[in-house]
Amino acid sequence: MAQFLQTLQSANAAYSNVLVSILRYGAPAVAFLLLFRCITSMLTFRREPETWGWLRLESGTRLPITHWENVIGRSKRSDIVINVPNVAKTHSVLTRYDDGSWSITASDSVKGICVNGEVVECAELMSGDVITVGGVNLEFEAISGRLKHKLSQRRTKGSSFGASLFNLLLLTVLQVLVCLAFLLNHGQKAPQTVLLAFLGIMAMEWLLLLFYVCIRRTSYEVETVAFFLCTMGMCAVATVVPGEALKQLLAMAMGLGTFLLIGWSLRNLERAKKIRYIAGVAGILFLLVTLVFGKTYYGAKNWLEIGPFSLQPSELSKVCFAFVGASTMDRLIKKRNLFLFIVYSAVLCGCLALMNDFGTALIFFCAFLIIAFLRSGNIGTIALAISALAFAGVVALRMAPHALQRFATWRHIWEDPLDTGYQQTQSLMCMTSGGLLGLGAGRGFMKYIFAADSDAVFATLCEEWGLVMGIFLLLAIVGLALFAVRSAGLGRSSFYTISSCTAAGIILVQVILNVLGTVDVLPLTGVTFPFVSNGGSSMICAWGLLAFIKAADTRQNASFAVRLQKKEVAVDE
Amino acid sequence: MNRIATRVWALLLFVAVLLGGFGFFLSEYFTKGSDWVVVHGSPHVYNGENIGCGVVVDRDSTLLVDLNDGRVYSNAEDLRRATVHWIGDRYGSISAPALSHYAREMAGFDYFNGIYNYGQTGGVAELTLSAEMQTEALEALGDYKGTVAVFNYKTGEILCAVTTPTYDPDNVPDFDKDDPAYEGLYVNRFIQSAYTPGSIFKIVTLAAALENDPEILNKTFTCKGSMQVGADEIICDDGAHWEQDLKQAFCNSCNCAFAQIAMDLGAEVMQSFVEKIGIMQPVSFDGITTEKGNFSVVGADQVNVAWSGVGQYLDLVNPCAFLRFVGAVANGGRAVEPYLVDRVSVDGNTTYKATVRAGEQLISTETAAVLQEYMLNNVTAKYGAEKFPGLIVGAKTGTAEVEGQKPNAMLAGYVADPEMPLAFMVCVEDAGYGKTVCVPIASQVLDIAAKSLK
Repeated sequence: MAQFLQTLQSANAAYSNVLVSILRYGAPAVAFLLLFRCITSMLTFRREPETWGWLRLESGTRLPITHWENVIGRSKRSDIVINVPNVAKTHSVLTRYDDGSWSITASDSVKGICVNGEVVECAELMSGDVITVGGVNLEFEAISGRLKHKLSQRRTKGSSFGASLFNLLLLTVLQVLVCLAFLLNHGQKAPQTVLLAFLGIMAMEWLLLLFYVCIRRTSYEVETVAFFLCTMGMCAVATVVPGEALKQLLAMAMGLGTFLLIGWSLRNLERAKKIRYIAGVAGILFLLVTLVFGKTYYGAKNWLEIGPFSLQPSELSKVCFAFVGASTMDRLIKKRNLFLFIVYSAVLCGCLALMNDFGTALIFFCAFLIIAFLRSGNIGTIALAISALAFAGVVALRMAPHALQRFATWRHIWEDPLDTGYQQTQSLMCMTSGGLLGLGAGRGFMKYIFAADSDAVFATLCEEWGLVMGIFLLLAIVGLALFAVRSAGLGRSSFYTISSCTAAGIILVQVILNVLGTVDVLPLTGVTFPFVSNGGSSMICAWGLLAFIKAADTRQNASFAVRLQKKEVAVDE
Repeated sequence: MNRIATRVWALLLFVAVLLGGFGFFLSEYFTKGSDWVVVHGSPHVYNGENIGCGVVVDRDSTLLVDLNDGRVYSNAEDLRRATVHWIGDRYGSISAPALSHYAREMAGFDYFNGIYNYGQTGGVAELTLSAEMQTEALEALGDYKGTVAVFNYKTGEILCAVTTPTYDPDNVPDFDKDDPAYEGLYVNRFIQSAYTPGSIFKIVTLAAALENDPEILNKTFTCKGSMQVGADEIICDDGAHWEQDLKQAFCNSCNCAFAQIAMDLGAEVMQSFVEKIGIMQPVSFDGITTEKGNFSVVGADQVNVAWSGVGQYLDLVNPCAFLRFVGAVANGGRAVEPYLVDRVSVDGNTTYKATVRAGEQLISTETAAVLQEYMLNNVTAKYGAEKFPGLIVGAKTGTAEVEGQKPNAMLAGYVADPEMPLAFMVCVEDAGYGKTVCVPIASQVLDIAAKSLK
């Protein structure tokens, strides 16, 4: 390897201008092409309509059942609208399960529901059963095996294996380029470690694709985008703390493991619903343990040290929270469930406030808002929650001087550029120094600033790789979020849709706080950039959250977290 | 599911916050970025206290210093010594405000490339200084402390501005702070000092009289070597000048005559004239602001009004500000603002080019013409035209009394030649008579100027 590096150095001496140009223009060009391809494929797939059964009125009219979870009610936004005065706005929920069975559940607003003349709270449905909704008789009919087979073939297509392969090749080219840039940088510390780390990421992404091929999954855009972000994160590590590159690689591997584990646990909704309770308890426990045994760094007590390892349990709590917030539609129509969730969230935020970790508390709060809105659709609840936060915020600022200090500095960083505004003024100075295309790998100054590989990682990357690459990082995140929004319509269950949007929301909010804090548009909160910031807990959390986004992707052969449809057909026939 | 699928759009609110916030940042980036990039302490631009990028050359493209890689100064020791007060040292003891002022251009900053410039040196700053004149002036000053400056009164270019004591930045002396030889070592006396002007101030008093007393040209003055003002006495050091007209009194530098003129005009008129011509105000150019001068006679005793009229009492002038005034006299009354940085270019593309900044009309053209005539007369009648071979020079010497040391020798003047429109100023501390100390220095520097310009 030493010889390889030496060869590189001599090649650099001979062709330095050519190499500089290739790296300077090549890296952003490849990154652009890669993101463009991934994001367009994530956002422009055609959503095929689906029909899973019918409700036959006495008049003979057949109302199609278009989802796995269907709200029956008078409200126009119900999935099956029955506009009769006796029917409640939200009357009941018709649910299809993984094994093809169906059930119906009455909402809080009605005393019960009539199935085959019998009043029940909840009942399993078979084809031919008659449901009475507010005096209207509906005969239930599930689709036959033949139609189901047809439907599974017509289903929304995922991206092709060829496209995934090409995207990954592009990413690999980008990785070779950035790695080369570090190796050619005169005075790069620990070049062998950096080289190993980049090779490690490449190995990981190709192995994952290989694994997908084996289990007949072809969509790879979400993962490719995540690996792109990880690659840029490794660039920050390689320049700021090259010695930690392998540690970060290990974190990525653990993150990938978490991703696969959570994805697997989400494949079966019944199992996922059970795990949800465990996750709920774990989420609180992580915080309580930190509260008791945690170490305080820079004002926030959010670190736990176990032997040589240190971790931030609040990061893991975020993944648990995405689990806890999720719920199937039949549970959503019960008010009690939302109330319990509010209490749970309040306890979590309380723990974080006691830990002085206001940045994380804010993330949890935003996640709570997203979940609360998705579940209730009630603007009033959200307004109440926001006013509660404003009140809590005032109290918190009075109690936490370091948080107040950050607010005082906000939009006033140039008044004291060398003291209270130091981190941001240096960030802005470095970002402008880098221009649109950056100063080159390892040639920035930002690396000498505190938290250059975590809180201020965006400035570090912009300085060395250019503002254009910074914008690409944001586009990657926005792409993931929009994908979560777009695949919501395809969701098999609100459980997946809610958890996927929560996960995307947490990632978005973190990026908002991280990036806009660094550039002084928002106060500095010291929050990590998912996938990019150096840090094991943050990396594991980011990959864990990604699993939820992946689980909501029900396109054909797209996601390992969704069972293949064919198998089911075989079972039925 | 329909409900949830519609509510999911709430997530777009967060996307909008992210994109909107970042858009706001981008608008700031493209409007304020050029200030951010040169924030003091940026290691991309500064090397410690002083600017650390770009190259500085003189008006003939002679290298003064390459600021990259820890500053590589000129090979010539005397040139290093003659220019260190303008280009700064390695440790920030001497700052270089004029270069820091163009930090953005020196760094070669633009919004596309930032400060990245393909292994080039960054900006090249061409100063108006002449390396040749700098070293000559330094040599002419010898062991004296003081400053010698020459500028073009038509354009404002500072061709020469040397200050002593100085040292070689490549070979920093290990000096004792209390050693008088190094007193004010880090001070650029041309811009950072204010001297008692002594008799060169008579140019100002004369101008005040010409502008405010219509009869002044017809007056005669009788000097008996001293004059009683109340309980005090005004003295001419070189004895009585007897009867003389205004021109002769100026040529004799007669204290009695000019004390009388100042007293006749009165404190208020003198004060308002001095304020009008602005010689006590700091001069600003290229990010430099010079030291203020002082003139305050309102409410002073009569004798102090008299002394201030001959450049004593509380009078203080900054050499650069006074040079600007002398330039205005030579230029028919209109001041031209001095400047030091002529051009900054990156890879041959000019990113900054100085423009001639003609200031206000300080005195009338008629007044300027009389002052010119009298100053030219001083040289031919008193200092010796042969001291300035081939040049037509007008000047006024001064010998400023300072407590506890020999007088400061002063000289201010100009060259009456449209091809060589130079004004000059010589201030030498603890030296003696202006005529004997300063005239040879000015002569030596102008000689080189004539050779290099013509």
